[in-house]
Amino acid sequence: MASLSTGVTAAGLPAGVSAGLGRLAATAGRRVAALGVLAALWESLPRLRVVDPTFLTPLSEVLVAWWDLLLSGELLEHTQASLIRSLAGFALAIVVAIPLGLLIGWYKPVAELLDPVLELFRNTAALALLPVFVLILGLGETSKISIILYACAWPILLNTVAGVKSVDPLLIKSARSMGLRPVRLFQKVILPAAVPTIFTGIRLAGAYSILVLVAAEMVGAKAGLGYLITYAQFNFRVPDMYAGILTISVLGLLFNQLLVRLERRFSTWRTT
Amino acid sequence: MKIQIQGVGKEFRVRGAGRPFTALDDVTLDVRAGELLTLVGPSGCGKSTLLDLLAGLTEPTSGRILLDGAPVDGPGLDRGIVFQQYALFPWRTALSNVEFGLAAKAVPRKERAERARSYLDLVGLRGFEERYPHELSGGMRQRVAIARSLAFDPDVLLMDEPFAALDAQTRESLQEELLRIWEKTGKTIVFITHGIDEAVYLGRRVAVMTSRPGRIKRVVDVEFDSRDGDLRADARFGEYRHQVWTLLRDEVAAARTEEVVHVG
Repeated sequence: MASLSTGVTAAGLPAGVSAGLGRLAATAGRRVAALGVLAALWESLPRLRVVDPTFLTPLSEVLVAWWDLLLSGELLEHTQASLIRSLAGFALAIVVAIPLGLLIGWYKPVAELLDPVLELFRNTAALALLPVFVLILGLGETSKISIILYACAWPILLNTVAGVKSVDPLLIKSARSMGLRPVRLFQKVILPAAVPTIFTGIRLAGAYSILVLVAAEMVGAKAGLGYLITYAQFNFRVPDMYAGILTISVLGLLFNQLLVRLERRFSTWRTT
Repeated sequence: MKIQIQGVGKEFRVRGAGRPFTALDDVTLDVRAGELLTLVGPSGCGKSTLLDLLAGLTEPTSGRILLDGAPVDGPGLDRGIVFQQYALFPWRTALSNVEFGLAAKAVPRKERAERARSYLDLVGLRGFEERYPHELSGGMRQRVAIARSLAFDPDVLLMDEPFAALDAQTRESLQEELLRIWEKTGKTIVFITHGIDEAVYLGRRVAVMTSRPGRIKRVVDVEFDSRDGDLRADARFGEYRHQVWTLLRDEVAAARTEEVVHVG
């Protein structure tokens, strides 16, 4: 590698560019290095019998199991079931929490009315309420989507309220001095100013939608990645269990990356 | 008279304190049409409160303010404000910030961009239309803010220490620019500052305020034989400067002792 990069420099690339490329490669290298070490440990520890391979399957075998699950169509079915639940809960949370948050942030009386209730519920872990959801809504899809909706709604709601409340008063004053009435003021100043903060909430909710999913699918589900993981564990299909876990991690990662990109797009101006 | 401030007082209720806080007390001042009047006073004398009243953002506790003979009733597009901290909308480009006031005035969409462009041109920002505020220097941001206030064509421009946050060099060039724009547009300008040099350099009249509660102590007419060349080197400039400084000295001292009493 070293000789190759020297060759490129000699071929006529300006020194600055090749130095930049070198830095980029170094950063990428460091990022991959930790993952590489993790993968190597996952592979070698069970093989060297440092841990019992019955409980920690080597990575290569997990990947084979994952491939088999993919070929059999089983993985797709579970992923699809999970994604539908996650996205439904996530989307509903956006639809419910953003308007509610705007209302609470903008109208003091609404805030005073709802604040105590919100304080109580936001300090109750979503998963602690899972049994309640199951008892009331049954074991079907409704309770699963509801618990995801519930978990996702909080970060969106709280960030929306914060976003509306933290709008620079000077901007409001400036817009008022140009004769803007409350409705236009809200539409032209409050809302755009709050968008980046709201998006931070949406990104957090995206992570929650995957995190809560697994727990929701561990009771009374017939499909889904959470179901796959528990089912595989009960039947001692340990490689399949790890394959399920890996899939959920990657899914969460991809979803988060997507939302981070979206967030960046909507808040390019917030770099000062 | 463009603006008549008649016996205006402003009190604020202070939480925890028994009696209200008096920011302004019996302020009387006339501003002529098309003049550039500077208002100078020690910090905390209620300069900005007076500007808020002129803008119609708050109402006086006593007295009244007339604009073209009619009492000021809320904010309006006949007055434009330029704030010290620019108050630009960070999610809008320079052009779109200038268009904001035009939209508020219900100028047809097609006309907005054209007019905004010409005002950015007037403040020397041609070629920066698509920049966001965070991509502009402090001086350029203030230019955008001035363009925004000029674009919806108010009769009166209210400026609240607009150049106080800028470095000395940028400040001087913007002061010159403001004079050029004022001469070109003929706006009535009320310019608030705590800088004596700035007040004398810009103002055709300088209104000196007392420390809290703010009143008008004296209005100084500033006249030069010629404004060409380096005005600050003119002997008259030094005299006016000294006159305003003397008027302010006691007020600044009073403001300071009050501050000490408050802190102590």
